[in-house]
Amino acid sequence: MSRLWAWVDSRTGLGDLWREAAGEPVPGGARARYVFGSVLTFLFMQQVVLGILLATYYSPSASDAWASTAYLQDQVTGGWFLRGLHHHGSSAMVVVVVLHMIQVVIAGAYRAPREFNWWIGLALGGLVLAFALTGYLLPWDQKGYWATQVATGIMGSVPGGGGMQQVLQGGVEYGNLTLTRFYAVHVFVLPLALGGLLVAHIYLFRRHGVTPPATLSEHELRQKTQPFMPYQLFLDVLAMTVTGGVLVALTVATHGADLYAPADPSSNFVARPEWYFLFLFQLLKYFEGPLQIIGTVLIPGGVATFLMALPFVDRSPSRAVSSRRRVLLMVGTLMAGVVALTAIAAVEDAQNEGYQEGQEMARANASRARELALEGVLPEGGSAVWRNDPAYEATVTFSERCAVCHAVDGVGGDEAPDLGAFSTRAWLVGAIRTPRTAAYFGGTKGHTDMEAYDEAALPNDQLDAVVEYLVRLRDEPEVMPWDEALAAQGAKLWEEELECSGCHEVNAGEGGGAPNFAGRGSVEWIARVIRNSAGPDLYEDSAEMPSFEGKLTDAEIEALAAYVHGLGLE
Amino acid sequence: MGAGLAGTVLAPATGLVLFPLHEDVTSGGEEFVMVGDRAQFGVVPRRVEIFADRKDAWNRVTRVRIGAAFVAVKGGTLSAFSTVCPHLGCGIDFDEESSCFKCPCHRSSFDLEGAVTEGPAPRGLDALEIEDRDGSIAVMYQRFRQGVAQKELLG
Ligand code: FES
Repeated sequence: MSRLWAWVDSRTGLGDLWREAAGEPVPGGARARYVFGSVLTFLFMQQVVLGILLATYYSPSASDAWASTAYLQDQVTGGWFLRGLHHHGSSAMVVVVVLHMIQVVIAGAYRAPREFNWWIGLALGGLVLAFALTGYLLPWDQKGYWATQVATGIMGSVPGGGGMQQVLQGGVEYGNLTLTRFYAVHVFVLPLALGGLLVAHIYLFRRHGVTPPATLSEHELRQKTQPFMPYQLFLDVLAMTVTGGVLVALTVATHGADLYAPADPSSNFVARPEWYFLFLFQLLKYFEGPLQIIGTVLIPGGVATFLMALPFVDRSPSRAVSSRRRVLLMVGTLMAGVVALTAIAAVEDAQNEGYQEGQEMARANASRARELALEGVLPEGGSAVWRNDPAYEATVTFSERCAVCHAVDGVGGDEAPDLGAFSTRAWLVGAIRTPRTAAYFGGTKGHTDMEAYDEAALPNDQLDAVVEYLVRLRDEPEVMPWDEALAAQGAKLWEEELECSGCHEVNAGEGGGAPNFAGRGSVEWIARVIRNSAGPDLYEDSAEMPSFEGKLTDAEIEALAAYVHGLGLE
Repeated sequence: MGAGLAGTVLAPATGLVLFPLHEDVTSGGEEFVMVGDRAQFGVVPRRVEIFADRKDAWNRVTRVRIGAAFVAVKGGTLSAFSTVCPHLGCGIDFDEESSCFKCPCHRSSFDLEGAVTEGPAPRGLDALEIEDRDGSIAVMYQRFRQGVAQKELLG
């Protein structure tokens, strides 16, 4: 073994390299605050490995991106976990970049002769944010799609930015090329750039060494110097382990990353960026009209310039904290500003009902879409997932077979009742008060027997009671509970005062010339009407609606009935 | 010679990257699209989805949702607004309570005429061309540059 190693070493010089790396003196001794750089390197490696694994499933096209991500997330063994780690890993990188920067600022390590390394570090930080921005869009879900619209919109809104935006997003609107471009940038351009700069960063760091605390004298520094291995190495590995542990815990606790419903350009979505961009997002709200550019470019650009210029701003002769109060105060104020804006953004959303509702709806849509995606997504694109929904099929059947006569909320034919809010209380009220209007039976040739009951014939309170009774007859307490007292009152009116029972029976199965109202409005009842509305306990010979028995399959009829039923859920 | 060689690769490379700048990568919906019957629209803006065939680079899809619009009738004339917020492109909502359009992103609001009443939007809602063809209403769906004061057609 040792002979083999001696041979490898003599041919490669690996031994020297190791001795040099491991033996690097750390003036003043190993310290916990030196770990951030190593942790970032570790996180970057982790992201690369995870990214490669994700890339073995992900397909960057408008038709495949969402479906392949949903497949990875919900069906592939370990998919959600690895994707979650990658997602939280990017948050971790941002956090550690900031910690690293704070440590550098406090230590005064941006000062001569380390200016270049400070600039490279800032560039690296920028790349980390660029990773986050490009990665956010890739799943092609609602959240990524809309949040990135805002980001590219900002680019397009600055003078001369329109062309840049068009090149980056591959056209004037989002599509296939947007994904291939973001993908290429995310997995090739940025990693290469970050890797290259990282090498330069580490090289320069090795050249200048750590920046030890100013409180130690030269003599003390020399005296306390320790070799990198094992002292600092131990701390570094410990910090990486802790970071890795936190990431795993976070991923398990959150069940990985979100995946919202597939991107839909016709929808609206409460778009929010990733949490570490919230301060920028909040900044957008303050500058109106032509002043916009202040929030989008001037302030962020000014801050970046200030950070770049820090080595020149800070001209104090010593790097001791006490002699750099002014600079530290400025950077501290900036940090406080970022924290404050982030907090305001979070609080505003927490208090915004519209946002809460939007979020809730988005989550419901997401879980439904992902459930449907388990059956496979048609190749037309993520949104095609909705076609897996039996309800979607029903809407197609409805528009082909039913919409000629029936409208939904005013859209469609007017020869039969509008089914937009079918059998809701409001619908029933309308059907009793104004049965001969277009929304009810006004356009239907038959069904002329039912008379309109105006307020004189049926005062409002009695009408409410009758309607409540009809709801009870429908007998679907889960979807439409009723007020028993009111219903009982309605039943009494029905039996004793009104003429309804002359035509409408209420005991299942009996016919009386007009539809029997037992179970009226339930899925089962609607399905019976679709099958054959001329049934003895339905419209009998006054039926206008064709029978669909045999023309549609049982499954189609049931889905259609469920669809119509769903239209009237309050 | 080296420069020439580099140029023979660089020129096509630049062309490839800048291709979307001068070529229509995506297309579809450049014509009027039926959105409903005259009778369905009233003073309260109604949201309609725009379906069209779309070409997206190498894909062609038929009858997909390419966007949405709000259609309303005011004083006997029809109007249509794109749902794309002129600020930075989020989808706006119509809030019945306050009778104005609201963007869920950076709290821009617009009145029934589409004018900005609040928030960072640099211009009012983008009106779309609308036609009444014997009672059938058709809308021409277009996209405009975001974040600028002038309404500037894209593509
Ligand atoms: S995108 Fe509508 S307010 Fe910003």
